Amino acid sequence: MSPDLSVLDTRPGAAAPRPYDFPDFTRTSLPNGLSVIACHLPGRPLLAAQLVIRGDAGGGATGEQAELGGVTVLTARAMTEGTARRSAVDLIEASERLGAEIGADAGWDSVAVSMEVPRSRLLPALGLLAEVALEPSFPEDEVERLRDERINDLLQAKADPRRRVERVYPETIFGATAPYRRPLAGTELTVPAVDRDAIVARHAALMRPDAATLVIAGDLEGLEVSSEAMAAFGGWSAPAGVAPVPGGPSPAREGGRRIVVVDRPGSPQTELRIGHVGVARSTPDFHPISVLNAIVGGLFNSRLNNLLREARGYTYGINSSFDMRRHAGPFTVRCAVQTEVTVPAISDILGELVRIREGEVDEAELTIARDYLVGVFPLRFEAAAQVAGAITGLVVNGLPDDELDRYRPAIASVSPEQILAAAQTHIRPDAASIVMVGDAARFVDALRDAGLGDVEVVRDDELTDEDAG
Amino acid sequence: MSDPGPTSPHVRFTQRTLPNGLRVIVAPDRLAPVVAINLWYDVGSKHETQGKTGFAHLFEHFMFQGSKHVAKAEHMALIQGAGGINNATTFFDRTNYFETLPSHQLELGLWLEADRMATLLDALSQENLDNQREVVKNEKRQSYDNRPYGSFYEKLMAAVFPAGHPYHHTPIGSMEDLDAASLDDVIAFFRTWYAPNNAVLTIAGDVDEEPAFAAAERFFGPIPANPDLPAWTPPAVAPVIGAPSREVVAEAVPMVRVHFGWRIPAYGTPEFDALEIGTHIMAGGRGSRMYKRMVRDERIAQDVAAFTLPLVANASILAGWVTVRPDADPDVAERVFLEEVQRLVDAPVTDDELARARALVESAELGALARMEEVADRLSQFATYFDRPELINEQLARYLAVDAEAIQAVAKQVFRADNLAVITYVPAEPAEEAA
Repeated sequence: MSPDLSVLDTRPGAAAPRPYDFPDFTRTSLPNGLSVIACHLPGRPLLAAQLVIRGDAGGGATGEQAELGGVTVLTARAMTEGTARRSAVDLIEASERLGAEIGADAGWDSVAVSMEVPRSRLLPALGLLAEVALEPSFPEDEVERLRDERINDLLQAKADPRRRVERVYPETIFGATAPYRRPLAGTELTVPAVDRDAIVARHAALMRPDAATLVIAGDLEGLEVSSEAMAAFGGWSAPAGVAPVPGGPSPAREGGRRIVVVDRPGSPQTELRIGHVGVARSTPDFHPISVLNAIVGGLFNSRLNNLLREARGYTYGINSSFDMRRHAGPFTVRCAVQTEVTVPAISDILGELVRIREGEVDEAELTIARDYLVGVFPLRFEAAAQVAGAITGLVVNGLPDDELDRYRPAIASVSPEQILAAAQTHIRPDAASIVMVGDAARFVDALRDAGLGDVEVVRDDELTDEDAG
Repeated sequence: MSDPGPTSPHVRFTQRTLPNGLRVIVAPDRLAPVVAINLWYDVGSKHETQGKTGFAHLFEHFMFQGSKHVAKAEHMALIQGAGGINNATTFFDRTNYFETLPSHQLELGLWLEADRMATLLDALSQENLDNQREVVKNEKRQSYDNRPYGSFYEKLMAAVFPAGHPYHHTPIGSMEDLDAASLDDVIAFFRTWYAPNNAVLTIAGDVDEEPAFAAAERFFGPIPANPDLPAWTPPAVAPVIGAPSREVVAEAVPMVRVHFGWRIPAYGTPEFDALEIGTHIMAGGRGSRMYKRMVRDERIAQDVAAFTLPLVANASILAGWVTVRPDADPDVAERVFLEEVQRLVDAPVTDDELARARALVESAELGALARMEEVADRLSQFATYFDRPELINEQLARYLAVDAEAIQAVAKQVFRADNLAVITYVPAEPAEEAA
């Protein structure tokens, strides 16, 4: 007797959606100018706290001097290496006793000190966070160690095909003086120049209460966030010097596309990046671009993944992204393909980038992309750290407080015409650089024959940044 | 002021077993409008036979190639179009499939899982097999073969578990075996293992208990059990490797890295819990002994790591590594790493070390149980491995109960010279490979 599986013949529909709004948050200011944002999330006893220095006030690596590339990241990392009151080990152990790990890091547009801590221990943990942010002692020998570790990390990055291609790619799309061309944490040439004096100076210039925002999210029931913030940060006053200058935009490289092969004999795959300079987070067509990217290379069933993975089997996966920062960051298609199909894969990718500009997307793919972005929105905010991170993103990019409330209606109303316009403006296959790290001998002749442009082949042990000098 | 410490989270759930043997667990949590669906099949790479390594994982890919009512690629399209995320993973002991959806899409998720459990073979095609075989081979190249030190996992498992043992090979398998996989293998594997009486279904999140059970029963209830489900008995294995082993690998790596592996008691034993805490004290994060000594003070290591794998078939593995700074002597780095291991044997950990480890474990639990995907995965795990989903509410207490004596006792048992495998990666010129 065969089982009656008829219940499976009908695909179930959706029930009525439960309403969802991004959690409310409130904003206050301390007398010293520090902005404090509190976001109450009932039932989330592991709180997240982040103190962020905004890029529009000079925070972030974009604003650092080119010859001291990496100084902002190293400054952030060195902040947890000891304070005026505690050695690095004492500091780390004190935070561990509270069940907290305090980390500091810098991005292009911000410097942030962050932690997660159980709500019963917020006050002492916030005190440690303030100590890290405001009173780091930057011991000479710890600075030296962090510098050595970065130099060693660059060695590791060079040997890893993925990290290697991610380093070369920005060099092919941004101009010689563009901050975004550089590795965020500095290079073999710049890191040795980052000494304790440079770090002390960078910290002193950056850490101003009027440039900072403190975000605290989680179950705040019964906690007086502003008085706790006052206790930890109330004594912070602005330094005497002038505020640092925020970094400017990163211009595109002049002279069009580059096609670069970093030769790595014996590689079983080619790491491949294709793209060009994209858009800033403040772009007015943010929402059409988000849907556009989902269709091109964001969804599992994106045009690129359907073709290169599901139809061809060339790759484990391929995706595209617009890396939106305060200024225009990269638009990138990323994948690793088996060596033999490197050139056909490039043709397929360029073909999809051409096709998306040639006609409107069809209704089915548009519906999936919009519904996906609208539907996953609440899934992104289960934990307090995720909510705090989203709020910090608003602060760093200078977006209005209702930006996350606007997100779902704005995505839901994106039209095929808007997507086509966004594609024709922001996806430019003819200008796209093509960068490969792989076994050149096995595909470079075919690549030259493909007629895409001049092909530069560099040896695995060479640096490729010919323009930056 | 005394610090009461954080309150341990408590997960409320109910378990029922359908007549076809499917265990169903429902854990309502109404904080966010999100539901996690999670299915564990009690089959993993340990069930593979010689010449078929990598098959459980290749099969997992096949589960996304369609079923009777779902076209190729449509599974992902329906999940993403519903605003959901999903994935699957294959491990030594099991294969899991999971999706997190807006809660009003619960039935779609259940239907998709039921359709492939019931009717996967309706969508069988050589073309899909060939395509996914290439995808998996590219996954292996990307995740292991084209990555510095990428072969360590395979080498370490092979060194810690003898040939013929189910943990001797890793889930990704070998290229040769993947090439040899046939449609008949797919059919046999599905009919043997992908049955409701070999699975646990967990639904966690924004649902009411009774409607969730009813929906699970509606979609999964008609799927027949496999009356011939093979009993799989974990093979007996000695508690220690029995002899030291050592391998040197010359590869295109920039720095020497020394990998270490020990055979340890299985996941789920008190000994394993004690090792977990001991390992944390030894190498977990910047407050750990090894970080302090090797990275910060003596500056011989670029990084250090040590961790356990949660394996259940009578034994598991504790693995670690030190990446040696270019200006340091690799022999010294190896010696110091092993001295720190020996310290766990020679003396009890301090009260402060234990207190810090416990506080961090508590925070990690609070964070993990805030995410429905993690709650569902743990419930499925504890039900599959131990038939005791209630372990989700006991695990933290078990970790907190670990004391210095327990750590030292298991350290003595595990950290022996005849139970250590060492694999050292040294830089070499990139090999010219014949085209």
